[in-house]
Amino acid sequence: MIPGPLEYYRPTRWDEARQVFQQLIQAGRTPRYALGGTELITMARTSQLSFSDVIDLKRIPEVMTQDQDGDWITWGAGLPLGRIAALDRWPVLTATVDRVADHTSREHITLGGNGFSLLPYKEAMLPFMLVDHAEATLATGAGLVTGRLPDYFDGTWRVASEDFLVSLRVRESEVRNMRFRSFKLTRLDWIDYPLVTIVAVRHPTGEIRAAFAGWGSAPLVSAEVNRVLSDTSRSPGARAAAAIGAMPVKPLDDVHGSAAYRAFVTEYTLARMIGELEASS
Amino acid sequence: MTSVGVNVPRKEAPNKVTGRARYTRDLCQPGTLYGLLVPAHVAHARIRAVETSAAKGLDGVKAVITGDDVSFLTGDVIEDHPPLARGKVRYWGEPIALVVARDAATAQRAANLVRLHCDPLPVVNSVAEALSEHAPLVHDEVGSYTIATPPAAPRRHSNIADEANVTKGDCDQALRESDVVVTVHVSLPQIDHAAMEPRVATAEILADGRVLVVSSSQAPFEVQKLLAQYFHLHPGQIEVTAPLVGGAFGGKATVQLEILAYLASRAVGGHVVTLANSREVDMATSPVGMGLEADVVLGAASDGRLKAARLTFYLDIGAYADSAPRIARAIAAQCTGPYRVDHLHADVYAVYTNHTYTTAFRGFGHMPMTFAIERAMDELARKLGQDPLDLRQLNALAPGDLSPTKARLTSSNLGNLPETIQRLKPLIGWTGGAPYAVAPHRVRVQGVAAFWKTSSSPPNATSGAIVTMNADGSVNLSIGAVEFGAGTKTAAAQILAEALRIPVSRVFIRDEVSTATAPEHWKTVASLSTYMVGRAVLDAAQDVVRQLKSLAAVVLRCAPEDLDYGNETVFVRDDPTIQLKYADLALGYQYPEGDSIGGQIIGRGRFMIRHLNLLDQETGHGRPGPAWTVGVQAVEVEYDTETHQYQILKAATVLDAGRVINPAMAHGQVRGGMAMGLGIASREQIRYGPQGEFLSNQFRTYKVLRMGEQPDTYLVEFVTNPQVDAPFGARPLGEHGVLAIGAALANALSRASGLALNALPLTPEFIWQQRRTMA
Amino acid sequence: MNIFRGPSTLVLTINGERRKVVVEPHETLLDLLRSPQVGLTGAKPGCENGDCGACTILLNQKPAKSCMMFAVDAEGQDLVTVEGLVDAPVQRAFLDHFAFQCGYCTSGFLMAAQALLLTIPHPDPHQITEWLRSNICRCTSYEEILQAVREASER
Repeated sequence: MIPGPLEYYRPTRWDEARQVFQQLIQAGRTPRYALGGTELITMARTSQLSFSDVIDLKRIPEVMTQDQDGDWITWGAGLPLGRIAALDRWPVLTATVDRVADHTSREHITLGGNGFSLLPYKEAMLPFMLVDHAEATLATGAGLVTGRLPDYFDGTWRVASEDFLVSLRVRESEVRNMRFRSFKLTRLDWIDYPLVTIVAVRHPTGEIRAAFAGWGSAPLVSAEVNRVLSDTSRSPGARAAAAIGAMPVKPLDDVHGSAAYRAFVTEYTLARMIGELEASS
Repeated sequence: MTSVGVNVPRKEAPNKVTGRARYTRDLCQPGTLYGLLVPAHVAHARIRAVETSAAKGLDGVKAVITGDDVSFLTGDVIEDHPPLARGKVRYWGEPIALVVARDAATAQRAANLVRLHCDPLPVVNSVAEALSEHAPLVHDEVGSYTIATPPAAPRRHSNIADEANVTKGDCDQALRESDVVVTVHVSLPQIDHAAMEPRVATAEILADGRVLVVSSSQAPFEVQKLLAQYFHLHPGQIEVTAPLVGGAFGGKATVQLEILAYLASRAVGGHVVTLANSREVDMATSPVGMGLEADVVLGAASDGRLKAARLTFYLDIGAYADSAPRIARAIAAQCTGPYRVDHLHADVYAVYTNHTYTTAFRGFGHMPMTFAIERAMDELARKLGQDPLDLRQLNALAPGDLSPTKARLTSSNLGNLPETIQRLKPLIGWTGGAPYAVAPHRVRVQGVAAFWKTSSSPPNATSGAIVTMNADGSVNLSIGAVEFGAGTKTAAAQILAEALRIPVSRVFIRDEVSTATAPEHWKTVASLSTYMVGRAVLDAAQDVVRQLKSLAAVVLRCAPEDLDYGNETVFVRDDPTIQLKYADLALGYQYPEGDSIGGQIIGRGRFMIRHLNLLDQETGHGRPGPAWTVGVQAVEVEYDTETHQYQILKAATVLDAGRVINPAMAHGQVRGGMAMGLGIASREQIRYGPQGEFLSNQFRTYKVLRMGEQPDTYLVEFVTNPQVDAPFGARPLGEHGVLAIGAALANALSRASGLALNALPLTPEFIWQQRRTMA
Repeated sequence: MNIFRGPSTLVLTINGERRKVVVEPHETLLDLLRSPQVGLTGAKPGCENGDCGACTILLNQKPAKSCMMFAVDAEGQDLVTVEGLVDAPVQRAFLDHFAFQCGYCTSGFLMAAQALLLTIPHPDPHQITEWLRSNICRCTSYEEILQAVREASER
């Protein structure tokens, strides 16, 4: 039961959405953009989050894009994760989103909803954090603006509250045939929040890159960790152990697992991933 | 036999696959007001005030009640429980107020405006803390409470709500004389019933004084009794209806929401109010299953024969006693497991903590108790180098032995554990329990555990059945047992059909139970319903047959003894062509001339449990139930010695079912119990924060088994040594699948890892931690 | 732009019937379906948090947890609840396999299974598991449900 009262806006243009958001803010209200809406509902019903208005972005065409235009593969922020997996345009993204929540929920949860989740995980963002040419399109006061993802997101978004993510894109030429492993480690259950989700790729540059969700309070990629992981002079096990030491933040310690145990599962999983990524290619 | 021993589909099955089955929340009538509990977000505090003015001022709010408005105490055994927190908050989630509003959203908005002003107290966050010297007291005056249903022995100025003891022989001496002694400390968390239907109750007080309650309850007659007692009403004024219940597992056998719904209705002039738990409230505010800390010391001769047991059980019962004294006595009475131990000393303590209060949970204490004993038995087998199944068979209780409370065991009331063990071996392909490698870092291993359980029911438990015949000779069966998935109604219909020699399709039975029309049935608990209801149904069937024969005898001009029955006819035994159809007799017999005799065939049957008594408070001796169901369970797991991840490949149960009324339902009950038991053992756990915060109040934090996590193979078989006083010899089996399967998993993983895994849940992190502690 | 403020009228299709309903913007689709104006109580509130799947329905032929959607979000969409299943093979299979006990989760499992079979007529056990572990059953061992869906897919 959502206590409400609520007002619900369903714009069909991105500028209309921003406009109504700003008007509501000026009126002293607390609007929220919604895509799948699942997190708003779960947080509203338990009073972890209160908001006066929902601005549903799903009927804005740009938000629902599923284009492959020349070298760019684009996913609208409003695409459900289940849809993204069915499109299967980027295997590492498919594999990663396929481990978020459960199958039915993935028909609700969207790329943008997961990316802007208030929870620490945002797993769908991990693959985008591993490539050189990931770009984000945002609805801003200056129009629809497309820029390098790291300029807006490094685990935490730097986007004005009235702006919103419209889509993400990567270059097919960069991600084609990229070897990858995507593993979600949980306390025990298949359907659970991650202790840690690790997405690792063997980039065309030869480097092994890894992105982590659940390790800390936000997804992370570390140049130092990637350097350690790519040091082929050492065994996978030794590299994994060194990577744990090189992690830029301490692991979370919560109801799903202790910090030390997170480090333990991360280490053995990294060792396995390195081994598999480097196996007779 | 045409109706018993066959796979009759559930009577209500077609409704359940079409969305037509109606549960309590589906019956909401227009104009219903919505109640909502406001849970405390503090575990232990002295209440200064519960501020409700803002909530009361909200448009659409009809009433807000707090502990100030409710002065009586409730409790099945010990009356220690205010329906709304009064004076103190004793657990995180305890209701501090009850809001009644026009609709659910308004109720939630109002609830968010209720403020608790309190002085926090030190939190009793575990059994160990509760028992420590100078522990804060959960109840200031534990000795002053009324004992509503003796026995119970609260200890003054302590956190001990109750204790039960059993002694036999000379335990200390026998331990000294034992060749091998094992000591095991077991630690189990509280768990949640997690029935898919959260608890819900609706109440209305009519102008004529009648009280209508609809509740997702296993115990509508208990609701009626307690409402009458607490609100000084006549039982007949109160009509409690229990529609189909969406899972129960013991958690809906206690009375909580019904009292609050009545209070809510009373506060709004008797208007109909529904009070439906959210999942979060159902987990944190309504009762859960108890935790256990246990110390087990077993002494044995070098051949493995048990000589002595010293057992201490500390139950984490949470903030209120509820059924804990009964459960403590159930544990005491079966404390050795199904093994003969001549020298025994057992103490069971029900310990108050600032955790959510607890109630019955599938198995009534036997699941945690069995875990403790069976872990110790496996450690004993390991120490002796003995096959764990052989050790259990060697020590199995046998007819002629005495139970721990000195009840005499017979082949009828005990069942045959050795036979189940012999059957298990080929079923699972018994390897002897030693781990063997299947790949680098991967081992396979089997683990076993045995169980026994009796009802631990009150000695005056009663049941009844009413059979009315329809004009066409079909019958309506009315019983007081609730249908929550166990198939009680279907089994009762099968028993009646068999006794009246009619097809089950000719027996009609309502989904819901109403205390106003159904005969009294104690509670639908303890796997006893087939036994109790079944006996009452057989009694009613005899009454029907007697009436049919006596009426037919008049019409057919013979003695009733000359008559037999079958094919919905009553006929003369030596000339079956002289016959009358049931339909000719159902509403009385009408002669061709038009005049009539008889009247409707209405059979009544009843049953009262016999020969039980309360356990003696000094010696613990007594007879806790009509019969014990015994069995053995096993799992086969594959375990990764590096990551501590594991898969359950096989899970097996063999139990002595006496006689199986409905094989498909019986297998389903046992398999379902195994799934629940494996979920509990592997992942289920209520976690409390450092200040007693209830951290596991959703399925995101309280994990239960999902598809894909079940064993690859379930193996279930029954041996059938009848319980002679039970309908067709059928022994109880509804709870039993859950009892020892967790212990079997712990035994398997202990063998695989070389560790002593004596706590639950068996997460890879827990095993990893044990390994680290060892290293 | 559509704006829903206070009680709002919308049109949607439920079990093949186009219906006009009045909802409050804070109501979930589950609230709407179970409300007296629609009166379809087959979808069950089990957690109202998207975790248990007891409220699963078909939304444009895909499985959806009706507790995880605002009712207004269903405007113009095609919904099927368990009451809209008519002699679906999966219903028969659930009966034959005793694939439920208390029955409270059954509507949700049936609809998740129905959605699966509409999308993948002959799923393998892995696919059945992947779709159906969106739901929780506390009574059965899951084995019965798995077998029932397998058989339904073979009919």
